[in-house]
Amino acid sequence: MPIKRPDFYALLGLLRSATQEEIRRAYHKAAKRLHPDANQAPGETELFLEVQQAYQVLSDPARRSAYDATLGPEETAPEVVEKRVLLSRKEIARLPESQLLYVLIDIIPSEEQKKTISGAPLNLCLVLDCSTSMKGERLDTVKSSAVQIIRQLKPNDIFSVISFNDRAEIVIPATRHQGNTHRLETRIQMLQTAGGTEIFKGLQAGFEEIRRYANPTTVSHIILLTDGRTYGDEQQCYELAKQAADLGIGISGLGIGSGWNDIFLDQLASYTGGTAMYVSQPKDIERLLNEKFSNLNQTFAENVVLDFQPSEQVTVSYAFRLQPEAAPLSKQPPIPLGPILKDWPLSVLLEFLIQPVKAGQETVDLINGKLEISAATLNMAFQPVPLRLAVSVRETITPEPPPPALVQALSKLTLYRLQEKARAEVEAGNYEKATQHLQKMATHLLVQGERSMAKTIMLEIENIEREKKFSESGDKQIKYGTRALLLPGERKR
Amino acid sequence: MIVCPNCKHQESDGAIFCSECGMQLVQYTPGETQRFDTATGELQTVSAPQPVSQVPAWISLHLLESGQILPISDRMEFTMGRVSENQPIMPDIDLSPFKAFDNGVSRLHAVIRNNAGNIVIMDLGSSNGTYINGMRIVPNIEQPLRHGDIVALGKLKMQIVLS
Repeated sequence: MPIKRPDFYALLGLLRSATQEEIRRAYHKAAKRLHPDANQAPGETELFLEVQQAYQVLSDPARRSAYDATLGPEETAPEVVEKRVLLSRKEIARLPESQLLYVLIDIIPSEEQKKTISGAPLNLCLVLDCSTSMKGERLDTVKSSAVQIIRQLKPNDIFSVISFNDRAEIVIPATRHQGNTHRLETRIQMLQTAGGTEIFKGLQAGFEEIRRYANPTTVSHIILLTDGRTYGDEQQCYELAKQAADLGIGISGLGIGSGWNDIFLDQLASYTGGTAMYVSQPKDIERLLNEKFSNLNQTFAENVVLDFQPSEQVTVSYAFRLQPEAAPLSKQPPIPLGPILKDWPLSVLLEFLIQPVKAGQETVDLINGKLEISAATLNMAFQPVPLRLAVSVRETITPEPPPPALVQALSKLTLYRLQEKARAEVEAGNYEKATQHLQKMATHLLVQGERSMAKTIMLEIENIEREKKFSESGDKQIKYGTRALLLPGERKR
Repeated sequence: MIVCPNCKHQESDGAIFCSECGMQLVQYTPGETQRFDTATGELQTVSAPQPVSQVPAWISLHLLESGQILPISDRMEFTMGRVSENQPIMPDIDLSPFKAFDNGVSRLHAVIRNNAGNIVIMDLGSSNGTYINGMRIVPNIEQPLRHGDIVALGKLKMQIVLS
């Protein structure tokens, strides 16, 4: 019996119903990765030729329909993931005004997959800020934490280190260390501080290293450690992050101390489904870096991208990942949702703003699209998971109480959003409004028993009243502190 | 449109929490609904929404020392404590007119909630504790309240009157 070859759709990771635009995008993505100038692994050049052939056929409507005729019925792909979707309402009323609807989506590996999950090798790059401000305890802790990571590497893992200030230097080129970690440790120990912080230079060098081994069977991730702000090259960094996302490379950031730009780092990470984390004091570097490393080792899927056609009637007005690593998400599709870990579901909360429902309209589509999953742990190409969420329209509804899990998640997220409001208001000079919102937050936190967080906020209120701005690290403490509250009890520290 | 019973902020229909004060919008009322009359084809307003802010009093606090009765309306959940200067935390019900300070009431002392008819009280980690019928309750854990219970915030005693 001949070996069953994947059909052209499966090869490009498409459903048979794919539009020309989707075919084009999938081809570009695959071609970028597999191009003979870029690919690494043996056999990838042949795969590249097949992908080209697939594209030539599928991009030509006449040839495509001829090809489609030769195919058997579309096989239902084995379920790679299981998803649970909770809606705040299953029916909405026909209202002449806009309304809100909340959706909580949990995604876990399917039972079938859980049995067979094997760990994928890591392709990890540490991009370390070695500017003058890192001198002393900060760099010392970064060094010892990096050494710890090196000692935990598996023989198959690929590892690289970049140091940067005004320029970037390759400290350890991307390589499999094959048990010889001593040499790598020595290189790390020799790092010294000097100069300023130009994040793009460091990221670019890290990207060049990691992409040499970036392929669908490794978990590729850049971890950026910085304590400073970068000036003028933010846009370049974002572009690079988008390129990285296309190649399946994730980016996460650890911001040390109070001087770094959290808005920049959050945004940068969000393009790839990664996270930015706040390190308040050097001793936390080790713990957070280890946590990130262990999460990468627990990866089932590096990233899930929610893609759908935006509509005029329904917009995503807020998007947030609650688990595994709490972070705000992009509101424009395609939305990178982030990773699924082996025993820790990916959980996201979306707020939809629905414009007035037209007369005669029976249903409202919230999402009509798909989940694209990239999973290094699965040694096969698989198709995206279709996702359609719709609510039916009734003339009148008796609102049912929303699912408790959704309300619970929202109660914490509401506090996080109050914090966002307060920051924007301080920025705009509305100090009174800002302190009012922070007061509400503190009161709710006290009621929920989060005393230390409430206290931090109360001190910050006094500071804003006095200084007309947040204290040095107050804004970050409140933001990342509130974010940590979103994790379920057993995951909290 | 939903109006937050706590701060009167207006939220879109379907909102679950007030974006201004973080309060859970327990009460749901449908907005103004319009419907096509199948006979005439005209758009008609079906029902005017009743404003949510009018929750009738469901509990009263009968202060034993002064004999005053405080009916609580509008809110389905309220914190009790006392206001003090230079203190940003404001309880929903300020007990300072009733010698709260002398009686050892904390600034944010306890919360009473109406969970769909189940009335509970929770101590918010107050300095001098909360008592139900003389028994001190564990902080941060909800305890059921019944009609006629004597609650003491520190030494400030009140009888719970449910309606």
